[in-house]
Amino acid sequence: MVDRVFAGVWLLLTLGFAAVARTYEAQYSYEPIGPRAFPLLLAGISAVCSLWLLLRPRRIAETLPPLPDGGLVRAVLLMAALVAYAFLFEVIGFPLATVLVTVAIGRSFGGSWPHVAVAGLALGISLFLLFDRALDVTLPLGSLWRS
Amino acid sequence: MDNLTSLWHGFAVAATPINLLMALVGSFVGTVVGALPGLGPINGVAILLPIAFALKLPATSALILLAAVYLGCEYGGRISAILINIPGDAGALMTTLDGYPMAKRGEAGVALSISAWSSFVASVIGTIGMVLFAPALAHWALAFGPAEYFALMVFAIACLAGMVGESPVKTLLACVIGLALATVGIDANSGVYRFTFGDVHLADGIQFVVVVIGLFSVSEILLMLEQTHTGGEVMKASGRKWFNLQEAMYTWWGTIRSSLIGFVIGVLPGAGASIASAVTYMIEKNLTDTEGTFGKGDIRGVAAPEAANNSAANGAFIPMLTLGVPGSGTTAVMMGALTLYNITPGPMLFKEQPDLVWGLIASMFIGNVMLLVMNIPMVGLFARMLTVPNWFLVPAIAAISFVGVYAIHATTFDLVLMTGLGVFGYMLRKLDFPMAPLILGFVLGDLMEQNLRRALAISNGDVHILLGSGITIGLWVAAAVMLVVPLLLRWKRNNKLIPTP
Repeated sequence: MVDRVFAGVWLLLTLGFAAVARTYEAQYSYEPIGPRAFPLLLAGISAVCSLWLLLRPRRIAETLPPLPDGGLVRAVLLMAALVAYAFLFEVIGFPLATVLVTVAIGRSFGGSWPHVAVAGLALGISLFLLFDRALDVTLPLGSLWRS
Repeated sequence: MDNLTSLWHGFAVAATPINLLMALVGSFVGTVVGALPGLGPINGVAILLPIAFALKLPATSALILLAAVYLGCEYGGRISAILINIPGDAGALMTTLDGYPMAKRGEAGVALSISAWSSFVASVIGTIGMVLFAPALAHWALAFGPAEYFALMVFAIACLAGMVGESPVKTLLACVIGLALATVGIDANSGVYRFTFGDVHLADGIQFVVVVIGLFSVSEILLMLEQTHTGGEVMKASGRKWFNLQEAMYTWWGTIRSSLIGFVIGVLPGAGASIASAVTYMIEKNLTDTEGTFGKGDIRGVAAPEAANNSAANGAFIPMLTLGVPGSGTTAVMMGALTLYNITPGPMLFKEQPDLVWGLIASMFIGNVMLLVMNIPMVGLFARMLTVPNWFLVPAIAAISFVGVYAIHATTFDLVLMTGLGVFGYMLRKLDFPMAPLILGFVLGDLMEQNLRRALAISNGDVHILLGSGITIGLWVAAAVMLVVPLLLRWKRNNKLIPTP
């Protein structure tokens, strides 16, 4: 069932992709195949594949393996933590963002508060020193604090 | 003879201090990554690639580092297979069958050392195979035109679709998603902006590193949430630490056979270390298992698959280096790494960048010796790493992945895009879509489109050029066979499984 829902959504996306691709035209054409042929070819294959997944007769009942208890909630929280990390990376700087994300991820993987707090501080500071200072990979300290 | 002279020069390149250091670091990191359940060679290479690039390593050193990680993973995977009955990477799955029973019998040390030894023998054989066959294949491929290349890439994709994953349709769709992601950005031929939606960050296309880290690191983090294994409960590697001469002789021919078969399987696009180890395990079981001891802790059942997965990893380099068409996810990532350095792998590589190619091959010999030394006397150190809890390991992987992506362009946009792709990849993986074809599609996308357009420009739009030579026809037929045969086999098996009422 999940497969079919995905295939349906994907089919719609493919149609959107094809509609956008159709508008691409080269102003000066010096080759027989323009910029839109290849994307349209891909859209065609993609549409056939998703139609197959959407409509195929099913012999074996295929369902997703169930998530462990509260798995969905934990997965969503983890995704939120990672997205927040991405957005905060430059704003509050690498060391602080890393401390926060380590605490968030560490908790969702079952670490105790003191453990994840220490791990966060250790990772935030040591990775910053390692990359920014020792290896010359510039990391942000936070645009928020500068203004 | 030419090859030997070139190899000699390669050793001169590989023996510079920086390259020796890279081989050492790569071997160590590779063994650790391989040993950790859930993380395989593709994750290791994906995480280290942007860091190598950010450190401004020269291309040769970066490739040596990544190759050492790849080989190291094939060594490391056996550690967790033997000690905790969980394969550290996909290639080590068969090693659990006999390795864990041996460990339970108190022979963990023997299992670990014999598998390191057979890995070493196989890797040396695989590297010699590269010396022998890669230049010849590169020479042959010089005659390839755009039509041949296009057909070759279709063949590589067909191999993957036929062999990887349970559903060929899903594998094909994954590949198409990768190809479609590659079309984003400015079109080199016409200057048209495709799928950028007016965003300046997408004008150059989606960064390779962003895709790789998103799909293999971020989605892996989300998947690890479901792992039941949480460190601890590691078997003690007690007892004898070394195998004895008798055991070495007992496994010798199986190791050699498995190395050769693994190498051939590795060269084929699509089939990698996991298929190689499964095939050789079955072959050894059929050939030598007269008392039915395979699966109950037979030392030959440990040596054979470990030999196969190592020589397969070596073999997988050949199509990537000589044809510019990677046959596996990990080599696809390495090819992407070379593209970051503006180096296009392919038949010309051996002529234009002999230092890079032969330095890499020579470093594999050196790296293997390092790996052997690390993996027998120091195996206890790696075994202890299995006890690192996930609440520390996962945030560390996340932070290093983010650093890697940020190091390339230093934009929040890339980080957000990476996380988005990671969530997308997680959903695809939950739906049983394989990731290796997706990354292969992404790496090949541009090449495929360019070769198709070039071929059709030569023929002035006549599609018959795609079937214009013996090589193209052969490749199309081979692609069709690769797609149809596994499908028929699967259909037959399914019919057998479910008797129709």
